[in-house]
Amino acid sequence: MTTWWIPVAAAACLALSAIATAWAQSRIGAAGAAALAEKPELSATVVILVAIPETMTILGFVVAMMLILRA
Amino acid sequence: MIIRMAKVRVLGPRARLSETLAVLQDFGLLQVAEGPVRAGLEPMSQSAFDTRRRRQLARVIEDAQFALDGLGVRQFAGAVPTPVSVSELARLARLARRARSGVARLANDEARLNEERALIQRYRDLLDALSPELHKISRSPHVVTHAVIVPATERAAVEELVSALATQSQHSIVARLHPLRSGELVLLVVMPERAAAHVERVLADARLPEVSLPSQFHAASLSDAVPQMLARLEEIPLELAQLAKDRQALARECTVGLEKACAGAHDALARLEALARCSTTSRAFAIEGWAPKTSAKKLMLLLERQLGSSVAVEELATEEWTGEDVPVVLTNPRLFRPFETFVRMMPLPRYGSIDPTPFVAVFFPLLFGLMLADIGYGIVLAMLGLLLHRHSQPGSIRRTVAEIMGPCAAFTILCGVLFGELFGDFGQRTLGLRPVLFDRAEAATASLLVAIGLGIVHVGLGLVLGVVAKWRQEPKHAVGSAVSALMVAFIILALLAALEVLPHNFLTPSVIALLIAFPILVAVEGAIAPVEFLATLGNILSYARVMALGMASVMLAIVANRMAGAVGSAIVGLLFALLFHLVNFAIGIFGPTVHALRLHYVEFFGKFYSPGGTPYRPLAHWRPTPAASSL
Repeated sequence: MTTWWIPVAAAACLALSAIATAWAQSRIGAAGAAALAEKPELSATVVILVAIPETMTILGFVVAMMLILRA
Repeated sequence: MIIRMAKVRVLGPRARLSETLAVLQDFGLLQVAEGPVRAGLEPMSQSAFDTRRRRQLARVIEDAQFALDGLGVRQFAGAVPTPVSVSELARLARLARRARSGVARLANDEARLNEERALIQRYRDLLDALSPELHKISRSPHVVTHAVIVPATERAAVEELVSALATQSQHSIVARLHPLRSGELVLLVVMPERAAAHVERVLADARLPEVSLPSQFHAASLSDAVPQMLARLEEIPLELAQLAKDRQALARECTVGLEKACAGAHDALARLEALARCSTTSRAFAIEGWAPKTSAKKLMLLLERQLGSSVAVEELATEEWTGEDVPVVLTNPRLFRPFETFVRMMPLPRYGSIDPTPFVAVFFPLLFGLMLADIGYGIVLAMLGLLLHRHSQPGSIRRTVAEIMGPCAAFTILCGVLFGELFGDFGQRTLGLRPVLFDRAEAATASLLVAIGLGIVHVGLGLVLGVVAKWRQEPKHAVGSAVSALMVAFIILALLAALEVLPHNFLTPSVIALLIAFPILVAVEGAIAPVEFLATLGNILSYARVMALGMASVMLAIVANRMAGAVGSAIVGLLFALLFHLVNFAIGIFGPTVHALRLHYVEFFGKFYSPGGTPYRPLAHWRPTPAASSL
């Protein structure tokens, strides 16, 4: 049985989640930078907000790893 | 933990109010709250005199700080500036004003000299090129010089123009071209006074204007100006050195006084602000404030000893102030204290809630160590921490960072031993190092399970703390948190039973318990509860990042090691490998820090943390903060 789709699926899994994270972070990062310019004391909150979408990539990576390992 | 506070009320004759505030400032532990407003008691009114005095004190602080900054005093010479009297403060205010103007004058003179030097330096190339020629002709009377800068590409045209000038004129005109370091040429034309007007006209027609000298040398001729400019270049450093000596003398003379002025004005301002919060009748005053519970008795004894029985102090019963905005003081054992920094990056926890510092102090280094997990990187981190510790002042930000780096390095080394990593697989290949648990580069599933397991423990702990925190004020929500925690436990039991890690008999009871718990959760917390419960499961899965970052770190380290043998030259390969390890180490510090923080702030704090505490600012004598005196 051909398993060529497994690495493709794993790559798509990681790539799509990374693109989604990048898009979300670009929006949050821009808004966060604007907020920090006015209120520097919000730095911790902004770090949290920027880091939140990274979960998508992490989960994408985990699923990709599981696909590869099961192959 | 959050220190227990007591609300204290001080009552006394109005005539002794200022004296009482001074004693309270010496005591330094009472935060004066807004004054009680009851029948007969009125808030202290602010007179025009008070407003003017505040303005004057702010001016003294500004003057003293400006002078201290200008004199380069970063750390206060005296360990603790002593309190000053009102009359002494007036003298110090005059000193601060005088020192400020002295510092400003020195700074202006220094800026002017530096500017002059920079301006002459711009002509340095030109001066070096012209100086020998001008020196020769300086003794010849009735001779005029004219200097022009021309681009190198126009050399031929300029030479042609000069030779034409010399031929057409009946006077003797000498022209020399000197190359400058910038690539341009300087043309020096020497001519008798009589020919000057004609030559200048010809050069102007050819669009070759004379070199413009700095304004202070405009009046002098070129042959006079050049030696003067060279002489100024030698004089300016001497004048700057004299200014530096003057500054040192001023610093020696004024530093102690300025520090006293700064401290005295801050103290007086703090007393005025406290005064504005007091309440009075025509004959008496009332002050209310917060002090740590353990110091309340000490305060009563002190006031009685210093002011006698005419001033009374009482501790208010907790029922009288429950629900008020109580200031928050965090206190933790020395080992945990550096991690308060992470808690303070968020709004302070509310009074009566849980201080998460001890949990951060344990889990932050653990998460960091699990992600970096390398003996070599851990040792480098420990060395950096020691270096930073040695070159930092107690209480400074650098010292705090160094103290956080210590436990992080320890956990990194420990996890490195568990996973058998020393600069990636370098230890395995050269020293025969073997993992105690498993190899992270190979066993991705085991690594993921460890990460998720840690997530279960961490989030579970958060849920338990949530139950404890809510138990007193919101028992209904506490029950909701407890049911959520139990449901997480049942799901884990069911999964472990389904995967046959636990006996299969656990599966059915766990599922039944889940089915019973779910409606209870909805009944207690409302329809939003299932969504929040799913978010809790998502929070646990979020800990998969520990595995992902760890695996990325070890893979990068392995790639760095492969580089040493992949390039033709061993030395180049080694350099590449070191560079790659350096990059990986930098990423390995930054990534785990941000992600460990995020796991705390979002996943862990979200379960129990109650922000909204106000910081504790007691009426005390002013001290320079460590952050201001030294980083």
